[in-house]
Amino acid sequence: MTEKQLKYRSFRSINWRAERRLLPGYIILSLWMLFTFVLVGWVVGASLSTTKEIFTGKALHFGSGLHFENYVKAWTGQNVSVFFFNSLFYSICSILLLILVCAPAAYVLSRFKFAANRIIQSGFVAAMGVPVVMIILPLFSQVSQMNLLKADGTIRALMIYLYVGFNVPYTTIFLLSFFANLSRSYEEAAAIDGCPPMRTFWQIMLPLAQPGIITVTIFNFINIWNEYFMSLIFANSNNTRPVAVGLYSMINSMKYTGDWAGMFAAVIIVFLPTFLLYLFLSEKIIAGVTGGGIKG
Amino acid sequence: MRKTTGKIVVFLTPALIFFLTVFLYPIIRTATMSFFYVENITSGMKDWSFVGLSNYVKLANTSLFRTSMWNLLRIWAIGGLLVLGLGLMFAMILNTGVRMKKFYRAVIYLPNIISAVALATMWLQFVYSTRFGLLTNLFKTMGIDSLAAVEWTGPGNKFWALLFAYCFGMVGYHMLIFSSGIEKIPAEYYEASSIDGANILGQFRHITWPLLKGVLKTNITMWSISSVGFFIWSQLFSTVTSDVDTISPMVYLYNQVFSAGNAITQRDAGLGAAVGMTLGILVVLVFVAVNLFIRDDELEF
Repeated sequence: MTEKQLKYRSFRSINWRAERRLLPGYIILSLWMLFTFVLVGWVVGASLSTTKEIFTGKALHFGSGLHFENYVKAWTGQNVSVFFFNSLFYSICSILLLILVCAPAAYVLSRFKFAANRIIQSGFVAAMGVPVVMIILPLFSQVSQMNLLKADGTIRALMIYLYVGFNVPYTTIFLLSFFANLSRSYEEAAAIDGCPPMRTFWQIMLPLAQPGIITVTIFNFINIWNEYFMSLIFANSNNTRPVAVGLYSMINSMKYTGDWAGMFAAVIIVFLPTFLLYLFLSEKIIAGVTGGGIKG
Repeated sequence: MRKTTGKIVVFLTPALIFFLTVFLYPIIRTATMSFFYVENITSGMKDWSFVGLSNYVKLANTSLFRTSMWNLLRIWAIGGLLVLGLGLMFAMILNTGVRMKKFYRAVIYLPNIISAVALATMWLQFVYSTRFGLLTNLFKTMGIDSLAAVEWTGPGNKFWALLFAYCFGMVGYHMLIFSSGIEKIPAEYYEASSIDGANILGQFRHITWPLLKGVLKTNITMWSISSVGFFIWSQLFSTVTSDVDTISPMVYLYNQVFSAGNAITQRDAGLGAAVGMTLGILVVLVFVAVNLFIRDDELEF
């Protein structure tokens, strides 16, 4: 019997008594889901409405049609486009660098026995639990002594450096388990064929760890996109601000401009990239949460 | 052999440089700085003056910091019960064989991928808004005028409004960690105990709970780490920088070191470092306590 037929049969023979037993569970899940949908749905609706309609409680009536110009206004007028591309730039550079830095490290830590191996691994695991407050002050004093906070270019480079550094422990530990599960026979075969170890790693081992690399990269992207505290401290100028900090300053200025529909549009713009990723890759993202370093 | 050593060094060095510069060196320097008076954060070590433990003593005597620690404790304890309780409940419901499990799971986790600024804004400007908000309108349609008139983010309510909104976003993450533990428990245990006449509560007490100790430890540790970093929510929920209702230690540190807040006139980076150390030590203490009190018997299953 094919899988399709099996599925069909199992649909025909729904065990209604068992389903009834699950009813309380369904109710709780559905209520929670309903609330989430209302929360996000209303904000999407309000972002396409007008401030006047929002205030008269008619945000979702769309009496005057859909106002996509809210998005245009927020995008161009409120500097959101600058914040957006800053975030995109930081995130993409950082996730690529993270793989270049962490994959080799994870590979070596999973493959070779040497004195410092366990210490490095424990250090990385411990670093995953270090709150930002423990590191932020010396970092700030160091970079301001080095005069890195004066020009946009150095701030950008610094942000990428910090994002990479802050995510190195998690990414390395996550990838470590992927390399550990790859068979050694690949390297042995490559060595017999005369392939140098460097090339073996980049051309054979790295592609084999691809599922892990993709998962951890999506996860890093979301984390970096949403990061707030470090960018508040270091990238707090109009040209270098990423979306999270930009949105905050926008919300504050909204008190004076009173453009609520535009504010909700900005909220959706900030939320959209991670949401789109999540829409298509939620399974991989969820796997990223429980995989890797976090063990029961 | 020398070839391997070379490879190890080349492959590890970049990661180690990042680790040393972003974690190890700053942690050591924060720890040192917490024993010094450092007027300006950018001043070099030669301008620091040793004050011993007086930064910590000063913190303990600062009422604003004490308030912030009290808020943190409430966030950690009450929020923790709420988030871990709901997370466990959802993880268990999802494991009972409900249809569309993956879909429900994805929806519950969704708030975690939303930027905290965006999510907090959704709560503040929509759910809690007294002019067009969800709660106000909901209670109006239900005819409960007393609740419809509540100012959700007004004084007295603000902290709870903040805590609830924050918890909503965190449930999904902790649900996933519980799920990863629950899914490892073999279904036969439940079947066998059902045959022996155990009900759902009995199954929870004698099968699920004991076998979840490992993930419970992970959950408490992760919850403590995120509580300590509580910052953006309190910044968004308070309109003035030193709002006592929602101030967290990290907000206190930020005001102390990076911006001259309304209530804080004197900048002191050494004091800020002491705040950082206090929070870091708290995480370590929780971690140690959790491992001491929750015995994971390393059951094989």
